[in-house]
Amino acid sequence: MNLIREIWQSIVRRDPLSTDKGKSELVFLNVWLHIHPAKVKKEHLRFKYTFYLGFITFFLFLILVTTGIALMCYYRPYPPMAYQDMKDLQFVVFMGPFLRAMHRWAAHAMVVCVFLHMCRVFYTGSYKKPRQFNWVVGVLLLLLTLGLSFTGYLLPWDQLAYWAITVGTNIGGYAPLVGGQLKELLLGGHTVGEAALIRFYVLHVAVLPSLMILLTIVHFWRIRKDGGLSRPTWKLRPNKTEALVTIGAPAEVAPLKTVAASTDKTYGLMEVVTGKPIFETVTPEEEEDAVFSYPYAFFREAIALMVTVTGIMAISFFFHAPLEELANSAKTPNPAKAPWYFLGLQELVSHSALLGGVVAPALMVLVLIAIPYLDRNPSRRPADRKLILWLFTFFVVANLVLIVIGTFFRGPGWAFVPPWVHVVSGAE
Amino acid sequence: MGRKLPQFFFALSMLALVLIAAAVWQASTPSWKNYQRAFFQLEAQGEPNAVTKAAVLATPPQIHQILLPGLQRVDRCTTCHLGVDDPTMKNAPEPFRYHAGLGPHIPSKFGCTICHGGQGLATDVKDAHGNVPFWPNPLLSSDYIRASCGRCHKEGDVPGVPELTEGRRLFETEGCHGCHKLNGVGGSIGPDLTDEGASHRSPDWLERHFLAPNVVSAGSAMPNFHFTREQARALTYYMLSLTNADMGSYYSSMRLIPSPEYGRQLFVEKDCIVCHAIGGTGAKVGPDLLGVTKRHSMEWLDEQLVNPQLVYPGSSMPEYDLEANVRTALVAFMASATQEDAQEILAHRSNKLTPEDVAIEAGKRDFARFGCAGCHGTELQGGVPNPNAQGGQVPSLLHVSDDYTKDEIIQIIRDGKVPPLDNAAGPTPPLYMPSWKHLLSDEDIHQIVDFLWSMQQKAKDSW
Amino acid sequence: MNRRDFFSWGTAGFVALCSGVAVSLGAVVRFLVPDVFYEPPQVFKIGNPGDFPFGPPTFLADEKIYVFRDRDKGFAVASAVCTHLGCTVNYFQSDQKFHCPCHGSVFARGGDVIHGPAPRPLQWFEVTVTRAGQLQVDKDKVVPDSYRLMV
Repeated sequence: MNLIREIWQSIVRRDPLSTDKGKSELVFLNVWLHIHPAKVKKEHLRFKYTFYLGFITFFLFLILVTTGIALMCYYRPYPPMAYQDMKDLQFVVFMGPFLRAMHRWAAHAMVVCVFLHMCRVFYTGSYKKPRQFNWVVGVLLLLLTLGLSFTGYLLPWDQLAYWAITVGTNIGGYAPLVGGQLKELLLGGHTVGEAALIRFYVLHVAVLPSLMILLTIVHFWRIRKDGGLSRPTWKLRPNKTEALVTIGAPAEVAPLKTVAASTDKTYGLMEVVTGKPIFETVTPEEEEDAVFSYPYAFFREAIALMVTVTGIMAISFFFHAPLEELANSAKTPNPAKAPWYFLGLQELVSHSALLGGVVAPALMVLVLIAIPYLDRNPSRRPADRKLILWLFTFFVVANLVLIVIGTFFRGPGWAFVPPWVHVVSGAE
Repeated sequence: MGRKLPQFFFALSMLALVLIAAAVWQASTPSWKNYQRAFFQLEAQGEPNAVTKAAVLATPPQIHQILLPGLQRVDRCTTCHLGVDDPTMKNAPEPFRYHAGLGPHIPSKFGCTICHGGQGLATDVKDAHGNVPFWPNPLLSSDYIRASCGRCHKEGDVPGVPELTEGRRLFETEGCHGCHKLNGVGGSIGPDLTDEGASHRSPDWLERHFLAPNVVSAGSAMPNFHFTREQARALTYYMLSLTNADMGSYYSSMRLIPSPEYGRQLFVEKDCIVCHAIGGTGAKVGPDLLGVTKRHSMEWLDEQLVNPQLVYPGSSMPEYDLEANVRTALVAFMASATQEDAQEILAHRSNKLTPEDVAIEAGKRDFARFGCAGCHGTELQGGVPNPNAQGGQVPSLLHVSDDYTKDEIIQIIRDGKVPPLDNAAGPTPPLYMPSWKHLLSDEDIHQIVDFLWSMQQKAKDSW
Repeated sequence: MNRRDFFSWGTAGFVALCSGVAVSLGAVVRFLVPDVFYEPPQVFKIGNPGDFPFGPPTFLADEKIYVFRDRDKGFAVASAVCTHLGCTVNYFQSDQKFHCPCHGSVFARGGDVIHGPAPRPLQWFEVTVTRAGQLQVDKDKVVPDSYRLMV
């Protein structure tokens, strides 16, 4: 028994969890958990403030990585084997349809959640100082998510995949000067073919996920360094402005530093490393306001993880991933549609190639990236930010409307056809 | 802090457990396992021995598949259709019934979907039979299944499928090529039909289309040819048989077991009977093959089939470039061949073998073997330059019967001939007809002359 | 929240979660076990007994086997895979031996090593007759070289 206890101790190396020191050490002695602070503000845990969208997005990414690696074992990125492998997953691989569906639906869900997460951050004004750069990282992560989803879309090599990518890459081809070359570089040719499939595969399983992981690490690290999750500070009780926080002071020695207490900050490892329990260095209000990460934050995160996984499993159990006919470059389905998240752009392209293919996407990306630097208003209180909130809402709604039109209201020949009208595409 | 969190956590965990268990259960109980169990029951019924019976019932369920790598096809039909190659399942209920009357088209080498259509990759009834969205080739109904013979048997009469021949004839004679491209030839008003058999069109649609194109396909430019119902069906058969994939050459390249039966088939295909007799029946250009395996060793025969000249200098047998398996099969057939075989093969030959045919065939070989073709051309067209000879070239032999009698030609072959000069003062032409009387027997010469005369006939016919 | 409540519901939930994770792990392992192989099957039919000539063995390249048929002894099936490093051996009727092209191993007609680096004789596989009268070879069942099937 002693040996077992010794081995266990050698692994965890912390005090029992019944003590506050043990709870803190659980966090900062653990390489996986120490991205958290030892204590978090109660507001951070409140569902209605963040909806846990960032966590859910990250968990969806974890699902995608695990199911993706499993699926790779049965996939050959070469036509028409790629399509045959989809059929094999469907018919002769144990739980193949389930895993493929999980991967597919988690990918769609991730695009949705990244977008919602961005909306939440915008509406709460969380991109403001000092979090400006993390917003930029977030926009890059959004683009990577779209890129991953788009490259993965081609891999089944069915009609749906083939034509969605053909249309999608042609939208990109409208970019001035570099559009054509960029498309050629991406496809490894002039049209979607064998070369495009292997390139998309490499991007999908190696290049983009690596970038995603790197940027995710930066994103998480910045959250911590920028003072933890943002809080609805305008709703908090006004702080005693004079309250001072003594940092890193063992009882008998003079404090290293004394700073004004902040409502928008948690105190990290570096600040308590000299040994005094953190709650002795902050004001009583602050202390009331914060709880230990273990178990309060971890438990809620675990619940968020389980909701995500269970939700995706439930959807995958009842709905299989779509698979159409083998890709056929000679037979274009009418209408050929890009993946749904690009249908807003395709809708614009149908009106004006310049607008949909160049202006809109370029503006969207540039403006999104620049938002924290353009918005000079220091206040995060919604009442002070009416104009910009309306503008952003317009952007979101316009996007949604265009996507809905492109998805549900466009029939053969890109004619306006409401979804309740049944079109017989019979002309042979 | 949410007071109900632990309860929520519990409910979630249970939901997750139930979902994953349900998914595992669903994956572990595919419908094909039920079919296999039923088949094992059926098999066990006929087993008198209790031990074998138990063994049959305990066979682990397993997906069966036939791989056709050359065609990129995988047929898993035999996962449920377990009795296709088991004659004792002749009267079994479907899907276990024996597939009678397949001849050489054994399922384990040919697969199923090549003839029947359907989705070979699938392992459940609905998907496999292909009547599902996004699968272009559902099972062909029994009315149309024979159309698939045309996918490999692209030329000539297909035994038992007169519709195909008729369909092809109609396609060629009714001017379909004017609008439709087929294998790169034809107009482009209508759709290309090269891969029509792989398209999603149902036989029923095609047939109605041929009867009234405009009714089925509104606005179609195709005129109504007023085909009869039989003609429409024949054309439908032909359409269903059209495919891009080179199936015939895949199957003929396959290594079949070198059985005497296969050898016999090859013997017929290569028309060996034109030179060789078996027990006196057949032509006598080459040696009689009755008992040939007793006179020569296997290696000798095999070598003879590879390179006749090497084994038997002066042999008139051509090099056929046969694969090892094919040679083994031919030798296996020769070991068992009898006079009755020869009679049967002769009886089934489309053109009856007359003594003249045999002589002409032999003459053709001699013409090639003794190098006549070198100057006069393989098609007797002549044309090799011969400066200062009359016409400047070696003469064509295509019209030799107009200018000479058989005896005159025999004389020329025997004694040779120097060509008449174009310009009497010029140099002697380099080429001349040598004398062949020391090299060729009278019989050889007669055969060559017969061959020449037979070619005259053809040349005249083609006028 | 009541501490006892937390532990009872929490513990039950934790147990359910652990079972769920265990089942998932099992499922992933099962997922990785292929149900079909893209290689020639281990058990296969090679045709009717009458298809095979007497005398020199018939080589079936796809299956990598030699089928022997002797008038008085019956059928036997030898592996064409050299026991040294897995090359395919060739049978020569002239000396009635198997020769391996890679490292020169020579096997007798009965499969025994005559010389060369091969450590073991060639394998012999079980051959049976199905109820339909076809020969069936099972490469998973290795038999002694004395094994013969009389039809």
